[in-house]
Amino acid sequence: MFGYVVRRLFNLIPTFLGATFLAFLVAQLVPGDFLAQRALEPNVRPETIERLRVQFGLDQPWPVQYVRWLGSLLQGDLGLSFSSNQPVWDLIAAPIRNSMVLVVASLVLLYALAIPLGVFSAVRQYSWADQIVSAISYFGLAIPNFFFAQVLILGLFLLRGFTRETFGFNELLLPVAQMTSSDFSDLNAWGRFLDVAHHTILPAFVVATSGVAGFTRVLRAQMIEYLSSDFIRTARAKGVGRRSITYKHALRPAVIPFVAGIGGILPTLIGGAGLVEIVVSWPGITPTLLAAIQRQDIYVVLGLVVVTTGLLMIGNLISDLLLAAVDPRIRYD
Amino acid sequence: MHRTSSYLVALVAVAALALASAQPLTWPAAWTSAEPGEAQYGGTYRVSALSDPRTFNPFVSAEENDIVDAADATTLLRQGPDSDAFIPNMAESFEISDDGLSVTMTLREGLRWSDGEPIDTDDFLFAYEAQTDEDVGSNAYDGWFIEGELIEMTAVDDRTVRFDFPVEDRLALVVAGYLSPAPDHILGEIYRDGGAEALKEAWGTDTDVSETVWATAFVPVEFLPGQRIVFERNPYFGEWNVDAQGNALPYLDRYVVEIVESIDAALNLYIAGEIDAFSPSNLDQVGVVSQAIRNGDIDAELLPNVAPVASSQFIVFNWNKASEPKKEALFRDVRFRRAMSHLVDREAITELVYGGSAAPMWSDVYQVYAYWVNPDVPKYPFDPERALELLAEIGYTPDDDGTLVDADGEPLAFTLATNAGNDQREQIAQIFADEARRAGVQVDVQAIDFNLLVDQLLTTGDDRPFDAILIGLQGGNRIWPWGSNVLPCDGNLHMYNQSGACLTDAERTAERLYGEGRRTLDTEAARQIGYAIQARMAALQPQIFTVSPLSHFSWASDVGGEHPRDLIDTVVGVRQLPLTFKR
Repeated sequence: MFGYVVRRLFNLIPTFLGATFLAFLVAQLVPGDFLAQRALEPNVRPETIERLRVQFGLDQPWPVQYVRWLGSLLQGDLGLSFSSNQPVWDLIAAPIRNSMVLVVASLVLLYALAIPLGVFSAVRQYSWADQIVSAISYFGLAIPNFFFAQVLILGLFLLRGFTRETFGFNELLLPVAQMTSSDFSDLNAWGRFLDVAHHTILPAFVVATSGVAGFTRVLRAQMIEYLSSDFIRTARAKGVGRRSITYKHALRPAVIPFVAGIGGILPTLIGGAGLVEIVVSWPGITPTLLAAIQRQDIYVVLGLVVVTTGLLMIGNLISDLLLAAVDPRIRYD
Repeated sequence: MHRTSSYLVALVAVAALALASAQPLTWPAAWTSAEPGEAQYGGTYRVSALSDPRTFNPFVSAEENDIVDAADATTLLRQGPDSDAFIPNMAESFEISDDGLSVTMTLREGLRWSDGEPIDTDDFLFAYEAQTDEDVGSNAYDGWFIEGELIEMTAVDDRTVRFDFPVEDRLALVVAGYLSPAPDHILGEIYRDGGAEALKEAWGTDTDVSETVWATAFVPVEFLPGQRIVFERNPYFGEWNVDAQGNALPYLDRYVVEIVESIDAALNLYIAGEIDAFSPSNLDQVGVVSQAIRNGDIDAELLPNVAPVASSQFIVFNWNKASEPKKEALFRDVRFRRAMSHLVDREAITELVYGGSAAPMWSDVYQVYAYWVNPDVPKYPFDPERALELLAEIGYTPDDDGTLVDADGEPLAFTLATNAGNDQREQIAQIFADEARRAGVQVDVQAIDFNLLVDQLLTTGDDRPFDAILIGLQGGNRIWPWGSNVLPCDGNLHMYNQSGACLTDAERTAERLYGEGRRTLDTEAARQIGYAIQARMAALQPQIFTVSPLSHFSWASDVGGEHPRDLIDTVVGVRQLPLTFKR
C-alpha cells in the first residue's frame, strides 16, 4: 500500500509538469499580451509599452518565461500579477475560499436531496412519483445553470410584487446578488454567518440542481440493479425487513461509484461554481479566472491552473485509496 | 454653449479668490440641483463597480478610473461640470507666466491627509518624482513629457510650486493641474528607503485599507475583494471644502461601492434596492428599470438617451499595401472613401444595433465634447446613388450581375475585419457589408481576435496586412480632445497611413494644426484650430465614422444633489459625490 502511494506520487511529477507546460503554451498561443491592450490608448507612447514589456519580462521568448516561472513555482512562488503588481497567491486565495463556501453548501444540498430522491425513485420504480422525479431530474439536467439562476431571480422579484400587493410585505425572500450585505462589517460573527448563509441559498440551490439530476438518475439505476440481484432476493427470503434491505444491503454497494467520485470533488471545490458565480456576482474563482484571461494576466491564470491541477491529482489519488477501503474487491499491493 | 470659456476667465476668478486668502473651496450652487439648505448630513450612498481596484497604490494602477480616484479628484486644479475652464482646487490660485512656459500654483491653507498630517508641497513633489521615475512605471509617466522633454516641477516655498514647460502647450496645464498629492510621510518614506521596487509593492489590495491615507472626501475603511469597498467621510475634507452656504462637505457619512461580476448583477441589485444608482448600458436595461419604476419595485429617476458616450466606432482603410498596388491606389483615393461613407447607413445602425439610441458621428471629436465638435464639417451621408457616381469616376462600373468591376473586369472587393465578441461592431460591419453588396461592392466581414486586430492595425511600413478595419477609440479630454498619437503622421495610431510620413497635404495640414492648437493657450482660438482640423479630416475621410451610442442614467429618488439636468452627461456624470445627500 505504502509503496503504491509513493509510486503514484512520483507519477504525479511528469503529469504536473506536462499540465503546466500545456497551460503555459496555450496562454502563449493567444495573440498579443497584457500590454497589447494598452496600445490603442491615444496618449501612450509605444516606447513606454516596450519599456513595461521589458519590466514584466514579456520581451523574453516564451520558453525562457516558462523556465523562470517554473523556477519560482518550485520555490512556492506563483509569480506576480501584471495588473496589480501583487503576488498571485494573494489575489486568488480569497476567491478560492469564497468558491469553497458555495460549493460545500451545494454539495451538502446535493446529497441531502439526491440520495433520498434516488432511493425513493428506485423503490417505487415506474410509479407516478418516480415519473415526476424523473421529469424534474431531466429538467434539471437540461436547463443551464446561469439561466436557471436568472429565472429564480425573476421569480423572487415577482414574488415580492405579489406579497407587496397582497400583504404589504415589500422585501425579497432571498438576496439576488453578492455574497454579503452592504452592512456586513457592522454584524457580529453569528450575524455574518447568517448573512453569508442567506446569500448562499439561491446559488447553492442552482448549482445543486444540475448535480441532483445526474446523481439521482445514476443512483436510481444502481439501486434498481442491486434490488433485483440474487443476494437481495436471498435476504428477502430470509425475512430481512424492507428498510434494512433498501438502506443497508442495496444502498451501500450502490453508492460505491460515488465514493470513487469523491476525489473529483476536491478540484470542483475550488474549481468554482461556473457561470452562476457571474450571474449572482459571487466573488469566486470563475469571475477571477475570466477577468484574468480577458486581461491576459497570465500568471494569475496559471496560478489557478496549478492549484486546480494539483488538487485534481491529489483528489484522484484519494479516490483510488477510498475505493480500496470501501470495496473489498480492490487491493493495491 | 455654457461651456464657452477661456483661461482668461479662469484667471480673473483666481485673482478674485486670491484677494480673500485662506478661503476654503466653495462648491458652486450651480453644480447641484438641491435647493439652498435642502441637503442633509448623514446617510449612505451605494453604487456598483464592475471590477475590484487592482491596487490602492496611486503609482501602480495600470488602468485609469481607479475606484478610489473616482471617489473624487484631489488635484491642484479641476474643471467643474459647468465649464471646461480650470479652476483652483487644492491650489487656491495659479498664475501662468506671460510666455506661457511656466505656471505657479499656491496651495490652500489647512489641507490635511485623512490621518491629520498636513498636506504641503513635499507631497506634491513626491508624487511628481514617483510619476516621472521610469522604474515606477506609473500611468502618468508619458504625460510629463512634451515633445520628448520633461516638464520640470520645483517647490518655491512650503505652499508654492512651479512647473516649467519645455514649450507652450495646452496639455501641459492638464498634466500639471491634474497632479494629486501622494503622502510623502508614508509612501515617500518607503520610496526613499527602498526605491522604486519598494514603492511598487506598497499599498496592494492585501494592505489593510484603514492604514492608507487619502485627501479625498471619502476614505476607504474596508475592502472585501470581489465584494465591496466601504468609504467613510474624511473629517478633514470639510476644512477646505464647503457648499454655497458655507457648510462643510461631504454630506454623506458613507459611500459604498459594491463590486459586481456583471452589469446584469448590478441591474438585479438595483431592482432589489441594494444600490442607489445604475447606468443602463442598453435600451433593454432601460426597459427593465422603467418597468420596475412603474411596478413600484423601486422609487427612482430614469434619464434615457442623455448624451453620446466618449468613444467612437469607425472604418479605417489601409493606405500601405505595396503588395497590392491596385488596392493601395483605391484605398488612397479620397473619392473611394467618400463613396464608402455614402454606403454607411447610420440610421439603420442606430435602429438595428442600438435600438434607436445613438447619434450619427461626422467628425473625429467625440460628440460629448460638444464645445469642440465642428457642426459644419463636410458630411457624406447614406446615399448609394452618390456612392455609385463616385465609384464610376474612379472607373468602377456595374457588370451584368450588378457587381462593380474595373476596366480589367476585376470586381471591387475588400475584407473588413473587426474584433470577435464585440456584437455591436460585428453588426455594424454586417450592415455596412449588406449595403455595399447591394451597391455591387463585395465586402467580406471577418471577426478576429482583438489583439490580432490591433497587431494588424499597428503594423508599420509600406505593406500592412489588412484591407479595412472597424474599430473604436476612447479617451481624450476637454482641453484638447485629440490624442498625441493620432494626428501626427508618425504617431502609432495614425492608423490609415503607417509609412512614417504624411502622404497627403491634408495630413500635413492636420499635423501642423494639431501642434499649433496645442501651443494655443486661448481656448476659443484653440477651438477654431480644432474646427479646421475636423473640416480637413472630414473631407479626407481617412476614418469613416459611424455612430455614437447614447448613455442612460438612473438613481434612487431619495438620493439628492445631482447636477442640474442640462449638466448631466457622460463626461461629468450625474453628480458630484461631496454634494450628494440622502433625503
